[in-house]
Amino acid sequence: MSDRLGLALRAAPIGLVLALGVAWLLPEPAGLSPEPRDGGTAGRVTATLDELDESPVVVVGFDPDVGTYPEMRPVVRTLLAELLERGARIVIVSLTPEGRALLLAELGRLEAAAAPGDATIVDLGFVPGVEAALVSLSRSVAAPNAPADLATRLAASGLGIADLIVVVGGNDVGPRTWVEQALPRVGSPPTIAVAPTTLLPELLPYVESGQLDALIGTPIDGAAYRAAADPDPAGVAADRPVDRLALLVGVIMAIGVLGQAFAGRVVPALRGSRRGERP
Amino acid sequence: MRRPSVPALVVLVGGLLLADFLIVNESLGQLASIVVDLAILVAAGAALAAVASLGLRRSMDLWRRRGDPLGAGFVLVGIAIILVAGLRPGSEGAADPAVRWILVALLIPIGATLFGLLFVFTLLAARRSVASRDRAATLLVAVAFLTLLLLLPLGGDAGAWLGGAARWALEVPIAAVFRGLLVGIAILAAVFAARTMLGIGPRDE
Repeated sequence: MSDRLGLALRAAPIGLVLALGVAWLLPEPAGLSPEPRDGGTAGRVTATLDELDESPVVVVGFDPDVGTYPEMRPVVRTLLAELLERGARIVIVSLTPEGRALLLAELGRLEAAAAPGDATIVDLGFVPGVEAALVSLSRSVAAPNAPADLATRLAASGLGIADLIVVVGGNDVGPRTWVEQALPRVGSPPTIAVAPTTLLPELLPYVESGQLDALIGTPIDGAAYRAAADPDPAGVAADRPVDRLALLVGVIMAIGVLGQAFAGRVVPALRGSRRGERP
Repeated sequence: MRRPSVPALVVLVGGLLLADFLIVNESLGQLASIVVDLAILVAAGAALAAVASLGLRRSMDLWRRRGDPLGAGFVLVGIAIILVAGLRPGSEGAADPAVRWILVALLIPIGATLFGLLFVFTLLAARRSVASRDRAATLLVAVAFLTLLLLLPLGGDAGAWLGGAARWALEVPIAAVFRGLLVGIAILAAVFAARTMLGIGPRDE
């Protein structure tokens, strides 16, 4: 490898980051996935929400992880905003420390963004034990900070009072844990899941079997739901949308690097085989 | 059978929880609740013990100047900051504004940055693995290359075609492989559970 090539390779990561930064600052050109392609997810989420009674109790399991949360964050904020707009009383719990940290950030943001004054958000905090915690919460929940009627119902029936369960999952705890441990114990209320794309293969069977009523598992599904929901963009749903130009630049760079590496391996092998050399 | 207490405990607790799930009985329910609460306490204790162990290990690293003393110092300072913010007199605990500020302004952005750097390091690792002339690595990079082509965020007919192909790739071949792995893991877990309940260990083979 020549000195010049070696220097270029060492500087490549810095150049890559700089290029992404420039793409992030530039205005987005027309023609980049202008319309979210909906596979029916947005309709299923809205239909599930439409079937709820007035002022429903919505239990939110909040356990994303820092690595994958950015891809779900806009959807989660929109979903929370839509639930609050519909007058839902939200009972929210985390089963992982990482989920708890992200939840505290979201709750702080909701307070700062002035969630509707009459909004009821009961924070159950972090409950260790994951599966054991879900079994325990299914029986009874102590919620001293909840409004009296809600606290009484939670103490008597646990998560069984949920009219809807929303699971925001991550790599550690996600919709599968809730489907296995909680739903059979609380009468299988309607359930909406938001999960990173990597969990899609293990979660799609739950959607097909009806155990999950709706699953937002890709940024494209998320964009479709956000476009359909359209809550107050300046309110609690406010979030920076994914910058598609930066995304395009990043994907092209990755394709370039992998393509160059792949070609550098395969082309000499092909040339060698043409000359009758063994690889 | 080397340690009959462990399988006996597993069978007892598993049987109790299963019976409670199937039979409506108040006494059985209360007994199961105690067991579940105990499991939660054990999990909480284990988490605390893990943090204490981490702090102790890093303190020793710092004290004896071994490993990465600078990193150990950062870990200890981080633990101390969170503890002071959450446990100082008058604090609201985890919901305290100081704790929230640390999480929102420091922890989450730093974590996101580290994961963002994975983009660069994954590409570099892919280059190195191909350069190592390993066939499996070359195949992996080739598939990643094709997958990235499908994920190009384009509009119009080309974008729609790419999106459809990406969805098909996710729902058919990738899902098939992934589910195969999951089924394999489930079978292994079932076998391991059965071995635990029967008290069969490596020494019995």
